[in-house]
This record gives sequence, structure tokens and C-alpha cells, in this order.
Amino acid sequence: MKTRHYQESLWYFTFCASGILLAGVLIAILGLLLFRGSNELTWEFLTTGPKGLFLGMEGGIYPAIMGTIALLVIATSAATLPALATAVYLTEYSTSSRFSWVIDIIIRSMVGLPSILIGLFGYAFFVLYLDFGISLISGALTLAIMVFPTLVILMRDALCSVNADYRLAGLLLGVSRWYILRRVVLPQAAPSLFGAVLLAMGHAAGATAPIMVTAAVIAARAPSRLLEPVMALPYHLYILFSQYVSLEKAYATALILVVLLLTFNVLSVALRLLLPGKEGFKL
Amino acid sequence: MTIDYIDKAAQWFCTIIAVLMVCLLLSLFVFIAKESLPIWLTEGVITIIAGSSWAPLTTPPRIGILTMFLSTLWASCGAMAIAVPLGICCAVFLSEFAPLWASFAIRTTLRVLTGIPSVVYGFLGASVVIPWYEKIVGLSSGESLFCASLVLSIMVVPYIVAGTYTALQAIPDEYRETGYSLGVSPVHVTCRILLPIARRNMVSSISLAFGRAAGETMAVLMLAGNTLTLPFSWFSKGEPLSALIALEIGSADVGSPHYQGIFAAGLLLLLLTSVISFAINYTNIRGRQP
Repeated sequence: MKTRHYQESLWYFTFCASGILLAGVLIAILGLLLFRGSNELTWEFLTTGPKGLFLGMEGGIYPAIMGTIALLVIATSAATLPALATAVYLTEYSTSSRFSWVIDIIIRSMVGLPSILIGLFGYAFFVLYLDFGISLISGALTLAIMVFPTLVILMRDALCSVNADYRLAGLLLGVSRWYILRRVVLPQAAPSLFGAVLLAMGHAAGATAPIMVTAAVIAARAPSRLLEPVMALPYHLYILFSQYVSLEKAYATALILVVLLLTFNVLSVALRLLLPGKEGFKL
Repeated sequence: MTIDYIDKAAQWFCTIIAVLMVCLLLSLFVFIAKESLPIWLTEGVITIIAGSSWAPLTTPPRIGILTMFLSTLWASCGAMAIAVPLGICCAVFLSEFAPLWASFAIRTTLRVLTGIPSVVYGFLGASVVIPWYEKIVGLSSGESLFCASLVLSIMVVPYIVAGTYTALQAIPDEYRETGYSLGVSPVHVTCRILLPIARRNMVSSISLAFGRAAGETMAVLMLAGNTLTLPFSWFSKGEPLSALIALEIGSADVGSPHYQGIFAAGLLLLLLTSVISFAINYTNIRGRQP
């Protein structure tokens, strides 16, 4: 009986300790970034380009911020409409369940695909085959392919969570599916759909491997044309650290990147919690 | 009547877009396979997979990716060895033992952790974990598969916690109440009743985490040391497949054995990860609609 008692306390202790350990690691990561990163963080850091003997030693990260934003905007605008159409197909319009099952399982399986492989594909397809070169457009389209499966699944969940009674009521009234979709389902799901896009943006902003081989270079001006290479925050962070340019600047860049991503995540959650979907009608 | 045409048009539009996008996604497999095909034919599958020397620029080129493949396995299996026990114990704590506020707070922070990009993890690992490891072990350069595993395990642990937590929460309270009313302790109920019930979902979240760890690029690139010697232990340096691709694809001449060799490495990684994720999804979807 005594050993059993000790054994149980030991397990209980292990469970609690691992929970607290993980929480500690989290706080340490965020705390470290804030503590080391905020030193270098000035207005000048955000608004000037990198300078110095080894580029990035002095000066700021303005072109990298703009590059990341350009990549994000193009990638999400390229991915959103196809993802929405696919999600609508899966929830509203699929007629053959076997066929939509195949599409569903392919898309789900692509979610976990390593981002470097999507980069490899982007390199072979956009950079070489379509001859875009290392450029903003190659990187953005690669990112679009990367976020597409995630976006479909999030949007599909958003559409599915609209109360099924609305659809039934609409069909009973003899209205077409398109009308229900446009007047009831889409307005209801709109906040969740926007939330999905924001999450996808956050996902794309942090991705380094795909743009490393398709779009990013060590130094470039703020993006102005589609066929030029750009700087991007995650790649800049990688270069700052791995070429031993400046540890302090690297911490500040990491902080900016994390803050950017967390903003997207928080906004997306807030959107879903605070804005209830527009009420179509009540049953 | 016009409305019906619009309905039909929308249906066709959505169907066509869905099919096109799926074709685009599948063309990823085709492209990676096609670009690497010549090297598989000239060198032979066995030579490439079991060959341990990578010298694509010599004549004749030597394209052996066993070293990188083993590095990938060491790094990801090592990460799983740390993350699985930690994640499961943490999920049990959150679901069964922690006060509600603590559980909520830890789960929220874990969700935040999944949002942090891998390059930041790689950077923190390289600037914090490695110096610390060097000091403890007394080596001059601490980059190793062990450090890569350590950081990878922190990156994938949220997936395991989330999967296990959801599985535990889905178990009806009757099981717990019955256990308690028979006079069994909470720990016993957890280990003997709840965890076996949740096993199936736990396995799928663990496989998901393994796929993530095997394909992760930036963290291993910055932490594993990038040497091309065969890794015999967890503590040696190595260069996983993903790091090889990221480092060398930009400098490889298009169509050269080097280029094809990198795509061969990509194909191997693709097969490893997509088989895992296809298997999870297949069993999951099958399980849901009998």
C-alpha cells in the first residue's frame, strides 16, 4: 500500500512538473525576446535600411518589413479566393461524396507538408520553369501555395459552423443555394473567414524556408516591382545571426517578427470572439 | 429562373477551382519526382539511399543521401523522445489536475508558441541553448543533433499537448466518476482508464508532431552543425535533408547531378512526411464516417 502511495505521488508530481516546466519555457522565450530585443528597438531601426561594413551591422530593417508585408499581401490575396471557392465547394456544392472525400483528404494531407518542399517546388516551378527568377512574385506565389491548404480547412470550418437550420429553411422556401450562400452563409461566416485569412497571414509571415530559395536576398530596396528580389524579416534574422553580423539587431528583428505574428493571431481570435456573424434571420 | 443559372455557374466555378487547386498541389509531387528522375535512373535507388558520401561536384559525382537521412531521423526521433513524454504529462496535468485558470493560461500560451516562426526558435536555440550546452559539456562548438532535437521538441510539443488534451476532454465524466466511486485515486483513473481510451487520438497527434519535426528546416539548419559525416550518435553533428535542400539548392546548376541529387533528397523527405500525414488523415476521416 505504501509503495502504491509513493508511486501515485510520483506520477502526480511528474504531471504537475511537466506542466509547470512547459509554462516556464514559454515565459522564458517571450521574456528573453522582450528583454534582449527592446534595447535596440528605436524608431530609426524601423524606418531606415541596413548599413555598415557588413550590411545590417548598423541601421534598420525598413526594407525587410516592407518586403514581408508585400509578400504577405500578394500571397494572401492570391490564395484567398481559390481557398474560399474550394471551401464552398466542399461544404455546399459537392455532389459526389467520394470525389469530395478525395479532394478533402489530399488537402488535409498537404497541411503538414514541410515548407522547404514547397520552397523546392516553388524554385522548380516559379523560379525556373516559369522563369520569374528569384523575385517577389515567385516568393509570394510559393507562400500562397503553402497557406492554401490551411486556409481551406479554416474556411471550411467557418462555413460548417453556420447553423444548418438556415440552409434547410432556405431550401424549404425554394431559394437557390447560391442565394442562401450569398445572403445567409457568407455574412454569418464573415468574421471567421477574415480570422482565417489573418491566421494564414501569420503563418506566411514566419515562413523562412520557402522564401529563402524563391524570393529573399541579403540586401534589397523596399519592394517596388514584382520581378525583383526582396528582403524579408525572417530571412534577415537568419542572415544577421548566421553571418555573425549583429546579435543585438537579430534580437530586435526577432522581437518585431514575433510581435507582428502575435498581432495577426490575436486579431484573428478577437475577430471571432467579439464580432458575432451578422444575423441572417432567426428561426 | 436567372437565379438558377447563377447557382449553376457558381457551382461549376467552385468545382473547377477546387479541382485545379488540387491538381496544382499534386503537381508538387510530379515536379519534385520529375526533376530528380534522371539521377535515380543513372545512379540507382540503392546507391543514392544507402550511399554515405555526398560530393555532387566531383566527376563522377557521388550522390549518397544516407548521411542526411540519418540526421533527419536522429533529430526528429530525438525530438519525439523528449516531446512525447513531456507533452502527454503536460496534457494530463492540464486536463485532469490543474486548476481551471492555470489550465486556460497554459493552453493559451501554448497556442501562442505555435505561432512563433521556426527561424526565431532556431535563433534562440543557437544563441541561448548552444552556449549553455557548450559550457556544460565543455566543447568548443556545441552545434549537434541533440541541440536540434531539444529545440525541435519545444516546437512540436504544443501539437502533442493539444491532441492529447482534446482527446482527454472528449472522454465523458462518467468514466472518472465511476472510477472515483469505486475508491480509485485520480492518478490511477488517469493512467489505467483515461489514457488507454485516448490512445488512438494521441497516436495521431504524435505522428503529426513527428511529421513537423522531420520536415522542419530553419531550426535544424541553425543548430545541427551542418557537417557531412555519418552521424553515429545523437550528440554528433549532422545535416538533415531539409537543411541540405535549403543550403544547396540556390547554388546548384540547373539540371546538373547536384541539382537532381537535391531533388532526390526532397523526394525522400516528401515520401517520409506525406506517407505519415496521409495515414493520419485516412484513419481520422475513416474513423469519423463509418
